[in-house]
Amino acid sequence: MATLTPTLSLTSTDITSDLLSFSVTDSLSVTAPHIGLAKTSVSTTGANNIIQPATDGQTYYVYVKHTGTSDGSTVVTTTLNIELTGDVVIGKLAAGEFMWMPVGGHSLGVQLQASSGTIIAEYAYFTKA
Amino acid sequence: MATTTATVGITSADLTPGMSLGISATTTLYQTGTTTGLELVDIGAGKLTQASGADALHEALGTADTTNWVYICNNSTNVEQYMKIGIHETIIGNLGSGEWLWMPWNMGDGDAEINIEAEASGEIPYEYAIFKSTYTLPAKT
Repeated sequence: MATLTPTLSLTSTDITSDLLSFSVTDSLSVTAPHIGLAKTSVSTTGANNIIQPATDGQTYYVYVKHTGTSDGSTVVTTTLNIELTGDVVIGKLAAGEFMWMPVGGHSLGVQLQASSGTIIAEYAYFTKA
Repeated sequence: MATTTATVGITSADLTPGMSLGISATTTLYQTGTTTGLELVDIGAGKLTQASGADALHEALGTADTTNWVYICNNSTNVEQYMKIGIHETIIGNLGSGEWLWMPWNMGDGDAEINIEAEASGEIPYEYAIFKSTYTLPAKT
């Protein structure tokens, strides 16, 4: 078992007249299996890009980032779908965007799907202990 | 235009023997494209009870494929209490005590409300922020 510390900071000087500046952190106990950080080329077929396996009832912490390239250097602006297995879209990332959330409590995994062409994505997942 | 920046850090000193983990990413919250920032935000807090069942944290925005972001934190200190997070009929996952999430919410058509549900008895305090591209206040009844 290992300890994972995720931290999120949100800042803005002008979204309201009051300064937005807050940070939240947590200490998570995680266990195997896990992928610390990986990079993958995502195609337009979600079922071919499953990044987190499904284990019934297990919770996983999932990180995904759209790198903004199709091959590591060529810029793309197409969106990256975040899906539960079975092609259930739960969100979309534009170039440079990232997400962090718990997935699970059911029997579905997580897969990625490019809206067109290919997209290089970074991802990580950790199994809740 | 507003400029809002989100930064995530994910670290661990003991996940892999001999190699610490240090993930970091920063992004500016834009509407579709990379020129106009998200201008609308709801920030709040509440208490959730199991008896209330699944509640809509935010109604559907009515327009699919807009860019919106959701932050939710389960502020309970009781490890038995967690929040189910879903979009309409789709359960995404369970947010344990002290845990937070940062997720895109683009599926803003008529059947895509963000919903939350408490599990285990007692009140679960939570906080949230929703950054939106567009929003129309509901009409009076």
